[in-house]
Amino acid sequence: MIRIAAVGDLHYGEGSKEILRPGLQHLQDRADLLLLAGDLTRCGGPDEVKILADELRGLPVPVVAVLGNHDYHADREDEVRRVLEDAQVRVLEGEAVTIDIDGARVGIAGTKGFGGGFRGAHGSDFGEPEMKAFVGHTKMLSDRLERALTDLDADLRIALLHYSPIEATLEGERLEIYAFLGSYLLAEAVDNAGADLVLHGHAHHGVEKGRTPAGIPVRNVAQPVIRHAYNIYTLDPDRQALAAAAGGIS
Amino acid sequence: MTEPRPDYLPEAIREKLIHDPRVAEQDLRVEVQAHRVMLGGNVASPQLKQRITEVAKELLPDYEVVNETTVVPAAEPDDEEPVS
Ligand SMILES: [Fe+2]
Ligand SMILES: [Fe+2]
Repeated sequence: MIRIAAVGDLHYGEGSKEILRPGLQHLQDRADLLLLAGDLTRCGGPDEVKILADELRGLPVPVVAVLGNHDYHADREDEVRRVLEDAQVRVLEGEAVTIDIDGARVGIAGTKGFGGGFRGAHGSDFGEPEMKAFVGHTKMLSDRLERALTDLDADLRIALLHYSPIEATLEGERLEIYAFLGSYLLAEAVDNAGADLVLHGHAHHGVEKGRTPAGIPVRNVAQPVIRHAYNIYTLDPDRQALAAAAGGIS
Repeated sequence: MTEPRPDYLPEAIREKLIHDPRVAEQDLRVEVQAHRVMLGGNVASPQLKQRITEVAKELLPDYEVVNETTVVPAAEPDDEEPVS
């Protein structure tokens, strides 16, 4: 069994020191991998992410992250990324990484993702340039996610997002902001490529569990939703390999 | 800035809390009744909760600030979920 620990929306900033660290004490006994689903900072400051990076540095399991909208706020996302990478946190944007865990290849494809809405109520890249830019950004990131997931050669494949691919995990959020919380294009990308698990954050008032239209499990790991340092999901690499050989996505 | 009309005051405060780098919280609930402002939602730490009260008092010095935000716990999970 591969044990995936995941959390998002830590929103680190001045005064956040040691919020996460106590909860990570036994991580090594409980999980093989830690995934961070974006919004690692309050305002996207490299000094903010440094506080988190110092708590993650030297963790005994690999750490993989995507950034969230808060991490872009200061227009310093490249620096935020570098601070994390200096602490051996692998940051994905339209990219993938494969990690060997006890002989099983665990592939993670990640993107921040973006909004737009859901089937029957999605914005169109039509009209003003601002609207085209908004929806165009989601399309571009979804296309890259699909390519990164498809290209993964792994026993288990995980899509790591910040924005939500489905509506089900947004329940509890106000309907008016669904279009700012996620996009079905992310779910379509995952369903086209196939995956074993999709993780996202961003929806602080949502719920944890849902599925893509093709049935792939989705978990909203926003910290205010899971209310723990992280949640753990276990995946069986052998079972998935069999399902893939049979040509199906289970 | 012109003082917002009472109908728009809660939203003006909500916006200010989003853009104040000491807070930067996007999902706080803000209600204003007479000279009392009530704040709700989730926060990551007691320190942040305290800071939100301070910033709200700065923004509305003549108001009573009732901070009912909840500090979200961050302990280890009790168990794990088998997904497949
Ligand atoms: Fe967030
Ligand atoms: Fe977010």
